[in-house]
Amino acid sequence: MNERELIVLLKKKDREAFKSIVETWQDMVYNTALGILQNAEDAEDTAQEVFIQVYESIASFKEESKFSTWVYRITVSKALDHIRKKKRKKRFAFIQSLYRESNGLMIDPPDFFHPGVKMENKENAAVLFKAMEKLPANQKTSFVLNKMEGLTYQEIADIMNLSASAVDALLQRARQNLKKNLKEYYKSFE
Amino acid sequence: MQEKFRKKIEDTLHSIDGIEKASPSPFFFTRLEARMNREKNTWEKIASFVARPVVALASICLVIMINAAVVFSSSDAKDATAFQNNEIATVDEYSQVSVIFYEYENTKP
Repeated sequence: MNERELIVLLKKKDREAFKSIVETWQDMVYNTALGILQNAEDAEDTAQEVFIQVYESIASFKEESKFSTWVYRITVSKALDHIRKKKRKKRFAFIQSLYRESNGLMIDPPDFFHPGVKMENKENAAVLFKAMEKLPANQKTSFVLNKMEGLTYQEIADIMNLSASAVDALLQRARQNLKKNLKEYYKSFE
Repeated sequence: MQEKFRKKIEDTLHSIDGIEKASPSPFFFTRLEARMNREKNTWEKIASFVARPVVALASICLVIMINAAVVFSSSDAKDATAFQNNEIATVDEYSQVSVIFYEYENTKP
């Protein structure tokens, strides 16, 4: 069954079509969410939310863009929403900790190790992911889509509703900021 | 020193070149379906709770009470507005008089 037939069946809420779509796109969705969120549990949670959204709003998919572009857009927006929610929770926990006598320590998350990184690069990659966390949302998104999903500038532009030249500029700024963050990080050990 | 940093930064930037795609743990679809059923059940529970005769009757009573409260408070507000209007009318009359006096005093062109 091809993609178009699957979409037609999914619009009729066909379970097998939905299962087939999930199995086809789950790696793409999970990997993108993992790159942005840097946490396996959060990425799984977000991937589930993405497919629930796909199931519920497939009727609104007008086939003006590619299905993968539409799914990527949902993934990016859900992952960024997840980060916002987490930040809100952190702020709330911090305020709560001010009023409590104990348990006031804020614990930093552990280093993130992506399962797809080669063994010899694990440590450097963990440092890079830490530096990526400090990037603004749009720079981080474009960097993840380019480096981890291997998408072209045009594909990223379609997902982010930008021009290819704007994506090029975003990626250049992302690299500059990463270099700056990494320099600060390595200098702190001198 | 700068060269050492530069090399380290470049190595770090290239550390995710050729990264393999990560996959969710097995039985992802089963977990997804279970979550969807759970969420569906929650909405069904809410719908069945709202549809109970006792809840429906209580909701109607609450709506009637809110309506009554709004009607009473608006009639009070009307009284207050009428009083305010009277006050304004009186003030206007006085100001009109003062203007008239002023006009009588300034008879020169």
